[in-house]
Amino acid sequence: MDLFIVSRSHSAAYQPDRRHALWLSTVLICFSLTAPAQQISQRGDTRAPFSTRATHLLGFANARDNGTGTLSVQGDSLQFQQNGRPGTEVKIASVRDVFLGGESKQVGGLPMTLGKTVAPFGGGRVVSVFAHKKYDTLTLQYVDADQGIHGAIFQLAKGQGELVKSELIARGVTVSSHQDQSTKESATEATHENK
Amino acid sequence: MKTSKCNLSIACLIALVAIVFAVPGQLFGQTAAAESSAGDRTPATRWSVQVDQVESGNVDLAYSFQIAIYENLIVELNKTKQFQQVFRDGDVTVSEAPNVLVLKTTAEKYTPGSETRRAVTTVSGATKLTVRSQLLTREGKVVLERTVNGDVRFFGSNLRATHNLARNIAKTITQSSWSSSGQPTTTVTGQL
Repeated sequence: MDLFIVSRSHSAAYQPDRRHALWLSTVLICFSLTAPAQQISQRGDTRAPFSTRATHLLGFANARDNGTGTLSVQGDSLQFQQNGRPGTEVKIASVRDVFLGGESKQVGGLPMTLGKTVAPFGGGRVVSVFAHKKYDTLTLQYVDADQGIHGAIFQLAKGQGELVKSELIARGVTVSSHQDQSTKESATEATHENK
Repeated sequence: MKTSKCNLSIACLIALVAIVFAVPGQLFGQTAAAESSAGDRTPATRWSVQVDQVESGNVDLAYSFQIAIYENLIVELNKTKQFQQVFRDGDVTVSEAPNVLVLKTTAEKYTPGSETRRAVTTVSGATKLTVRSQLLTREGKVVLERTVNGDVRFFGSNLRATHNLARNIAKTITQSSWSSSGQPTTTVTGQL
């Protein structure tokens, strides 16, 4: 008899707690269901900005040709900031196509060229064999406000071109069926150099 | 006697001053006349040009080269001041312009070079480009057709060939007989 009374009083005391626990678990389940959706939408809105060192060869907005600076993908725009100059940008939505290529270029610029020229006993030619570096070229096609087509070419460190291209594709740039010529050009260059 | 000498020297001075002021004026007049006659030689109707994107044709031309030729062409054509306006391919405002020619460029030959080979051997590794340039009216009538070359033989990157090519195309258009007549009536074909 005593046992019955105790058990009844127990169940009565725990009933509100059980209800609370049930309510709490329901809320938690609801939160856990909405959390991934929220995570995805956050990733879509604010991707981490991406930037890399690049040399602008030609064609990008008002940037100076052959100027070195930082090429960055921020928010909805592709920006190029030259050292000590105001940055220029193009909306990612206006980019129509992206192509990758490869180039082998001489390092050292004009001083190196002059140095090689004056080196005695053809020493400059020997230096030329080693004074070259491979680069990626990133070619962009974009349109202005009047739908006029523009082209821009950047030179980046080997491997960086692919990263920029991926970043642009992730932000909605569509790439045409043109084949990237990075590998093909490198192979051609290698064949020429081995001859 | 003394007075007459003084008068003579004053008269000489006045004459000298008159000559000094009159001659430059006369020269200026001549220059202006020459300028106006030169101005008469410029075409009555100033044409604008729309630069189409470069077609690779049957040549395996890298896309960066196509874009570089296109961009360099726009720069070089602007430099010539031959055209009232230089429009880009796809520009919607071109339909409002009155006299527009279209510049079509098709790659015919491309020899990929190597900067390393050029630096090491000097005589080999040249990058060579040959294109066919056509200047057409809106109706599709060919006004000027030329085969133009551009290359880089000694110093510079491979893309420098595109700059040289664009400069040659602009030079060809400027020096053509169409350019001096200003009327798209004759078809000029040839090779530079």
